[in-house]
Amino acid sequence: MKVIEIKNVEKIYNDSEVKVIAVNGVDLSFEEGEFTAIVGPSGSGKTTLLNILGGLDRPTSGEIIIGDTNIGKLKGSKLIDFRLRNIGFVFQAYNLIPVLTAHENVEFIMQMQGISKKERDKRTEELLKEVGLGDRMDSRPSKLSGGQQQRVAVARALASKPKFVLADEPTANLDSKSTENLLEIMEKLNYEENITFIFSTHDSRVVKKARRVITLEDGKVISDNKLS
Amino acid sequence: MIWSIAWKNIWRNKIRSFVVIAALIIGIFGAVMLVGIMEGWVAQRTHDSIYKEISHIQVHHPEYLNNEELKYTVNNYHDIISTIANQPGVIAWSARTKMFCMAQSDWSSTGLIVKGVDPEKEKMVSELYQSLEEGDFLAETQRLPSIVLGEDAAKTLKLVNWEVTGEKLDSLDNTKFSRSFKQKLNDLKGKRFRVEKEFKDSLEANLSDKEYRKYSGYLAKYFSFYRLRSKITITLPDTSGQFIYCTFRVKGIFKTSNSMFDALNAFVDINVIKKNSGLSSDDYHEIAILCTDNETALTVNDELKQKIADNDLMSWKKISPELAMYSDFMKIMDYIYVAIFLLALSFGIINTMLMAVLERTKELGMLMAIGMNKLKLFKMIMLESVLLTFTGGIIGMIISSLSIHYFGKTGINLSMWAEGFEAMGYASIIYPSLSWDLFIGIIILVIITGILSAIWPARKALKLNPSEAIRNE
Repeated sequence: MKVIEIKNVEKIYNDSEVKVIAVNGVDLSFEEGEFTAIVGPSGSGKTTLLNILGGLDRPTSGEIIIGDTNIGKLKGSKLIDFRLRNIGFVFQAYNLIPVLTAHENVEFIMQMQGISKKERDKRTEELLKEVGLGDRMDSRPSKLSGGQQQRVAVARALASKPKFVLADEPTANLDSKSTENLLEIMEKLNYEENITFIFSTHDSRVVKKARRVITLEDGKVISDNKLS
Repeated sequence: MIWSIAWKNIWRNKIRSFVVIAALIIGIFGAVMLVGIMEGWVAQRTHDSIYKEISHIQVHHPEYLNNEELKYTVNNYHDIISTIANQPGVIAWSARTKMFCMAQSDWSSTGLIVKGVDPEKEKMVSELYQSLEEGDFLAETQRLPSIVLGEDAAKTLKLVNWEVTGEKLDSLDNTKFSRSFKQKLNDLKGKRFRVEKEFKDSLEANLSDKEYRKYSGYLAKYFSFYRLRSKITITLPDTSGQFIYCTFRVKGIFKTSNSMFDALNAFVDINVIKKNSGLSSDDYHEIAILCTDNETALTVNDELKQKIADNDLMSWKKISPELAMYSDFMKIMDYIYVAIFLLALSFGIINTMLMAVLERTKELGMLMAIGMNKLKLFKMIMLESVLLTFTGGIIGMIISSLSIHYFGKTGINLSMWAEGFEAMGYASIIYPSLSWDLFIGIIILVIITGILSAIWPARKALKLNPSEAIRNE
């Protein structure tokens, strides 16, 4: 089943004196359960494309259809609400709320969705156990290692039961052991729960695990390899 | 959870938050104490004025206040008294005669308003008898009739003298004053001074400059004494238009917070006045009425006006319009003072909140990315500012309320400036007070300050673009 479809998407930055075409006429579609890596050199448009897929940036032209919704037509709070209910985010620098515990960080997103306390607690515990942090629920981010923080971020991304998870260079700040551990967890979630993951990455270890690799250069898709 | 996050966010940078909270505590303490002192002053002035000087309501002949002549006594005295006695809200009343006289002692003379009163009834209406520095309030039987007058009038008539007596010198506090100091004062023993300045000049000649500066005020008070039982002669007008001379013995000297009142007023037994001036037993110039409280007095005044048509009735607000004006004006000034303090403090809060938003750009971007809508983000920043302000505000209010409560009992002694205060009719010992409506009003102002101070930082947060904010370093 098609989760995302983008048609002829273009993103041009006119901020500086030089016109920059960050994404240049990209057509792509993503199926449910994909484990996709978007790769390419710095400045190739990976992060911009990911931001457009997540509704954080608007394309200059083209359409982004998620499920049945053309998110280009959503404005203001409707777009924010759409992100809350449909898209999970994992960031390179973890971006957890430092004053909240691991449990609260995961729970917070469900509270914004209006889920009851009982259900929130149950799901938070399940997710943190799933990412191997069942014993660190009450720890604040400052007491967790980078790898552990990123696992909390993955749990948080999944807490809202999104249609897909976008991860922008999720392993860039992790050592090899933590990277291995994180990838194992994400792979497991992908296999067992059919969660769709889309990464932007430079990391060859992530690329090796991916079942589809899209390569960008100068904002264009130069290859799109689906591995069996 | 937004509340919890907002509260926890305040304590991310503890030193910065403590500095803002401390500024709020000190600022609010200063503002509230200032307001409390002003409120206390006005309340005290209003109380003293009503309970020692003018009472709640006064009844006069319609012509009396235009032309204060002996003949303008209240109409239908007995009817009025029975109406007043049956009026709900009235506690007591006292009928007086009032004359403008010349008073002469052996050493000096001055003009006085001599009020003829029934001492027992006067005590029901006025607290003046509690302000006696020395002596009694007219209760006596002796050959010469008694008079009670204010301290300033007594000073003018040279009834206050200064003398270093052996007895007083011996009882001077040994821990405060050395033997050599006492020896210097010993030289003044036996001399009597009728003018304060002369006594102080002698002190200056005997003491060192430092000792004189430090102790002259205290010593002038300590070695002063009232010449009670002195005779003074009052020149009274009588009903035939002649002046008669009446000699009184000083029985008591009162001191209120209003030196003008103390300089002009004297009280004598009404029977003495009636006997000498030719006024009949039903002739009174003024009936002073005391009611249960200041507000009731206004209603009672309106009701009595309907019942007593042929006399002039005035409530305390009309007798002394400046009292009501001060009270209303002071309320407005209180809010203006607090608002100015809070305005100054709000810049500190804005600065802190702006720094908090700028430092957390990345985190705020993340929150917007994962789905926190603008309303919730706005609410979170607002709450941080309000909680920060409220924390400082509440602690400041608690400290200032406790201080006002404490000083409301012990008083703040500003007697070194007593002369100036008393000339304006204000007491030099201030008992600060803070009314509930003002207390709640200030808390509301504190919350409004918190909200207004957060608007700019919160707007800055709302303008963030999540995709750019997340990349912020």
